[in-house]
Amino acid sequence: MPLPLKYNFRNVIVRKSSSFATAFTIGLTVGVFLMVMALARGIDLTLSSSGEPMNVIVLREGSSAELNSTVTKEQLNDLIYLDGVARENDQPLAAAETLTLIYKPRKGMTQGSNVTIRGIGPMSNKLRSGYKTVEGRMFQPGMTEAIVSKRIAERFQGLQLGDKFRIQTTDYTVVGLFEAGGKAFESEIWVDVNSLASTTKRDTYSSVLLRAKDDAALASLSKRITDDQRLHLKALPERTFYEEQQGAASGFLKAMAVFIAFIMAVGAGFAGMNTMYASVARRTKEIGTLRVLGFKRHSILIAFVLESLVIALIGVVIGVLLTLPLNFVSTGTANFQNFSEIAFNFRVTPDLILMAAIFGLAIGFLGSLLPSIRAARFKIVDALRAA
Amino acid sequence: MKYGKLILKNILRNKRRTLLTISSLVVSLFLIITLATILTELSRGSESSNPLRLVSRHAVSLGFTLPVSLQQRMATVPGVKAVIPFSWFGGIYIDEKNFFANFAVDAARLRDVLTELKMSEPEWQAFINDRQGAIVGAKLVKLYHFQIGQHITLRSPIYDRSVEFIVRGVCTGGDEKTLFFHHEYINELVPAWAKDQVSTFSILANSAADVPRISQDIDSLFVNTDAPTKTESERDFAISFETMMGGVKQFMYGIIAAITFSLLLIMANTMAMNVRERTREVGLLKALGFTRGTIAALFIGESLLVTGIGALLGIFGALLIFKSVDLSLYIPNFQSFVPSAQTLLAAFVISVGVGLFSVIYSAYRVSGMTIAAALGSTE
Repeated sequence: MPLPLKYNFRNVIVRKSSSFATAFTIGLTVGVFLMVMALARGIDLTLSSSGEPMNVIVLREGSSAELNSTVTKEQLNDLIYLDGVARENDQPLAAAETLTLIYKPRKGMTQGSNVTIRGIGPMSNKLRSGYKTVEGRMFQPGMTEAIVSKRIAERFQGLQLGDKFRIQTTDYTVVGLFEAGGKAFESEIWVDVNSLASTTKRDTYSSVLLRAKDDAALASLSKRITDDQRLHLKALPERTFYEEQQGAASGFLKAMAVFIAFIMAVGAGFAGMNTMYASVARRTKEIGTLRVLGFKRHSILIAFVLESLVIALIGVVIGVLLTLPLNFVSTGTANFQNFSEIAFNFRVTPDLILMAAIFGLAIGFLGSLLPSIRAARFKIVDALRAA
Repeated sequence: MKYGKLILKNILRNKRRTLLTISSLVVSLFLIITLATILTELSRGSESSNPLRLVSRHAVSLGFTLPVSLQQRMATVPGVKAVIPFSWFGGIYIDEKNFFANFAVDAARLRDVLTELKMSEPEWQAFINDRQGAIVGAKLVKLYHFQIGQHITLRSPIYDRSVEFIVRGVCTGGDEKTLFFHHEYINELVPAWAKDQVSTFSILANSAADVPRISQDIDSLFVNTDAPTKTESERDFAISFETMMGGVKQFMYGIIAAITFSLLLIMANTMAMNVRERTREVGLLKALGFTRGTIAALFIGESLLVTGIGALLGIFGALLIFKSVDLSLYIPNFQSFVPSAQTLLAAFVISVGVGLFSVIYSAYRVSGMTIAAALGSTE
């Protein structure tokens, strides 16, 4: 016969300061774990949402990122007329783009980071969803004008509406601020690709984006381009391209989260053991009474484990409540794939919360095991005789 | 001190609780020390920069290169002792996992500018006289077992080239996970757009006082050209990299604060339990004539002794671990991974603080009870 759950709750409340201290310790452990994981998740989600399902991205063979890739005008001409490239009004849905970096100080600091400047073509926005001008207007083709993502404008100096920034000897004016549905492009500055080419005196592009006309074309286009020995290019679905970047940017954070959380969990687990041992010792006589009343050893064991799980659950709630507000916090760090800033939001997602809950309860369970076994092993006579 | 024995006895009364509490303290302090050491290493570049050195890059960003010919004009600026090209090659050794920095430099004058590099004279000569030669930092030898005379191929995704070098020396000093080779050699192999181009110049000034003026003088030489420069002290250049990471440092301080707070809770819980269980004893001590101050001091001393032991074990444990395993081998850009004296001191101060603050309320409350109330406690 199990002990009623009410017994567990009452016991947690009787020693509320001790229970709360233990719960809070578990809460901090869970909170730190969630916080670091939410950071990693923010990067992952930003990158994974960036690729459009039907797009193929073409880079130079052997390059690891758009920044160190080159595609020539001749190669571009070969690409856009390939079978499988979708068309709109008889125009191929293809965009050659150029990437470069500009170093800008962060707001309120003298130093900052590299921000990606993307030269985009007339088709670029047909190939991407989620684009929205939120202030000002789109740049005019051929002009030395730029639009800046709102997040970047908020985080860096000299990139507000009306500001000018210089590339080589040319000044670009910021004429608009944009959003891009939380994608990696919200870390970028966009200018006209031809204007950027003449400014930087480069006659090559960094990458080419193609829209496949159907699912079959998505695979065959990638294969056709990569396998072509003359082209020296590689093509892959844009989704895959961004998914491959995830690990590099977030892997370190995830490892950190596990390392820190594991060590904190050991500390919290020991604290939990202390609390439970004290709880067992204080109730020795009570345990004896319960045994006399007919409760079995395993009922006692389960009761103490449950009591610890209740404390751990309170801890989990504290940890989640501490980190949930982070969902609205925007931050940024260096994406070393492109050697530039990636802006993103912390993302405390349901699966992370579940993971944190399991983690917190595991601390409570492991911490309670030895004390509960001890309680279950009391001999009735000894327990009743205890002071 | 005459109550030292009593405090010790009290600690040993519930050995399991003391052991668990100390273990909690030790692992938490170890974590704090580890995170603080990472923080130290994250700002190592700026903290241990050479005040005589400057770095010149393209004004827009490192995404643009500068013509190597600027070197001559930079060298004419008064106060400049030496200028060398210092180009990031981004070469990958076999696999991307084997990340280490590799730079194309002017081999003959490398040691004049990077004064911290130490290597035997025959090795320097062998390196300088072999265009295909390269020198490797001592930690790269530990990691990849490079040997003098070994051929190493690095594949650079930036330049789309695989280039073979011959190890001519092993150097120490600075980031010992770096490989240097001749700019002249690589210059013949790179694609046309990269020919005669460098990513940065490293400049040595005659005196630290000249540094700000040199930076202005150099930049004004090239302003409004196709290759405008941004020349800054090595310290500022390093900070520019550190700020790229964004809020990482603040984030880590936040984690350290959370760990400290959880330490406080763990210790406060332990001491609260100790105090509560000994309430009747406090009544007895009071009846024997112990003053409130003495009783409070007994508990405070007990708490400080426990945290003190935890601090010493945590600090020496961390030192022992990091002295025997050099984590800097595996973390890019980290020159060493040994806790600094400040870090250890801070860990100790945190422990003492935790020891004090965790017990103050309990000690104050219990020592203020009347004899009757304390003796009548039901604990």
